[in-house]
Amino acid sequence: MAKRVMVVDDSRVQEVQVRKLLEGTDYEVAHYCRSGEDALAVYDVVKPDVVTMDIIMPGMDGLETAQAILEEYPEAKIVMVSSLAYDDTFDEAKAIGAKGFIDKPFDKEKLLAALDAALAGD
Amino acid sequence: MDKAIPEKKLREGLDRIVREVTEASAGIELIRGETPPGEHMCTVHVGFCRGFHSSLSIRADTALFTRLAQSMLKEEQVTAQDLEDAAKEYFNVLCGHIAAELYRSTRVAARFSVPTFHWGRYCPEDYTEQFVICYSGGRNEAAELVHHIPVSREKDGGAE
Repeated sequence: MAKRVMVVDDSRVQEVQVRKLLEGTDYEVAHYCRSGEDALAVYDVVKPDVVTMDIIMPGMDGLETAQAILEEYPEAKIVMVSSLAYDDTFDEAKAIGAKGFIDKPFDKEKLLAALDAALAGD
Repeated sequence: MDKAIPEKKLREGLDRIVREVTEASAGIELIRGETPPGEHMCTVHVGFCRGFHSSLSIRADTALFTRLAQSMLKEEQVTAQDLEDAAKEYFNVLCGHIAAELYRSTRVAARFSVPTFHWGRYCPEDYTEQFVICYSGGRNEAAELVHHIPVSREKDGGAE
């Protein structure tokens, strides 16, 4: 059975890109949220295996959303997806319990490696 | 973006990141050009905060943004909404790389606003253009990256 991914990103382009990259793999996009608020509201209904989370979003940003989800669902596997790839952001993401970080733009190999690592608990 | 970074170094850094990110995001090679975008252009804009008090825009011919959207979405047919979404995502990625570069230079963790998209030429209120870098995307397409500083800083000679 395919592992279920929830994509959280205000950009529909990102959802389309992730969906296309995951075609023919062990993963599928189970749900797409355009905001952090939406992700918080549906997380327990969707029950994804792993979440990909953008950082720069209107309203709650990705770090705030990831923190809120992890406070309520500590078992959640969240991979941050952003171009803000530097120590300060890595440290913030790690501190709140994110399981990985993907630097935009990314390819299929990078995406799958990060998802696999998050589920393996690396 | 900040008085701690000399303008020449800032220009060079921005130029390199624009070309690298455009190639990586959409496979489009931008080269330095002389001609500004034409009448049918779009603008994407972000404001920087947390340590940096300037803003950036990219203005480009609609045809270039259309090609960018086609490449990012891997679709031949794109709508106006697709073009807007792809342009905003492209600039979001571009500004993230710029913020990362600024962090490496200054150890200041800049953040930036969600990109806004505008049909035509857009100039943010209370800001003035400090410098513009022009590009050609081939196929008679042009783009320009614009670095804006607050009007109050320009009156002070660009210092904060």
